[in-house]
Amino acid sequence: MKEKILIIIPAFNEEENILKAYNKICLFNQENGTNYDVIVVNDCSTDKTLNICVDNNIPVIPLVHNLGIGGAVQTGYKYAMDNNYSVALQYDGDGQHDVRYIENIIRPILNGQAHLTIGSRFVDENSSQFKSSKARQMGIKIISFFIRLVTRKKIYDVTSGFRAAGPEVIEDFAKSYPIDYPEPITNTELLKKNYKILEVPVSMNEREGGVSSINSWKTIYFMINVILSVLVVGIRRFKHVK
Amino acid sequence: MSNSLTTGLLLVGVFLFLIVLFILRKGRISMKFALVWFIPSFAIIILALFPEFFELFARIFGFKTISNLVAGLLFVVLFLIIIALTVIVAGQTTKINLLIQEISMLKMKVREIEKKGIGYDK
Repeated sequence: MKEKILIIIPAFNEEENILKAYNKICLFNQENGTNYDVIVVNDCSTDKTLNICVDNNIPVIPLVHNLGIGGAVQTGYKYAMDNNYSVALQYDGDGQHDVRYIENIIRPILNGQAHLTIGSRFVDENSSQFKSSKARQMGIKIISFFIRLVTRKKIYDVTSGFRAAGPEVIEDFAKSYPIDYPEPITNTELLKKNYKILEVPVSMNEREGGVSSINSWKTIYFMINVILSVLVVGIRRFKHVK
Repeated sequence: MSNSLTTGLLLVGVFLFLIVLFILRKGRISMKFALVWFIPSFAIIILALFPEFFELFARIFGFKTISNLVAGLLFVVLFLIIIALTVIVAGQTTKINLLIQEISMLKMKVREIEKKGIGYDK
């Protein structure tokens, strides 16, 4: 039996990109004989994202209210758990993520090498052309430092939203998932719970359209929130530890 | 500023901080809401450590004693936090309202589909 693999695409106002992203995955499936399923979680977009999904028969969960990125992605994980997927992969519909890397990202999970994998721009120096601005890289390094401080483990691309989870992590995420800035916080939580996280080198593209969920004037709030959250995860005691 | 006032304020600030930290550690509050309380608690601690600010403010705003200024400031801070929480509660009320409507309509649709037996196999 082939493993069931789900690609979760959270979408908020992605009318320019969503169909392109979906078609790319379908084409990849056809050309490579893969069987990636897709679920778009429409986070109550105010543009035509939902209409485009429905008109083109893209599987979509339409959230009736805007939940934010964390709530949207968690819906995808719940869907993955309900439908017994062995791997669930988060994928941005805005063209940043490349469908060709999916195989590399999910392989360690299928092989049992890791519970969660992160598509990382920073593990292999030459792999990614686009590594985002110097300021953002600095921010990522600072968060990475704090994660290491509380878990003694190094994660390079802490904010990467290109991640894949195995069944245990899917269940964990379906139960609890932060609303704001979920990636760095859940990475820390999983490490604290002794799950194995593996970073896989990928290259990312610049956004093709739309607006990133982290914009400049909110950056300071983002940094304060994430650093404090990571520190709090550090002093938390988790009941369900691996 | 009197020593007892400084100590009292410090205690209040530290106590507030520890309570919020405790709730956070239990995972019963998100960082977003914790910050609503962390920021005033830090402000209280800093002001208690540097009472010169108080003396300056008291002179500018014409407070007769510093303890009056402290009481007034605490009042304003609590006032603002309560307003912020009221706004949040109001937002949640609207959301729950809409959610109940959405679910009720879905229930109706499901029942209709069940009756017709379209696309529904037992």
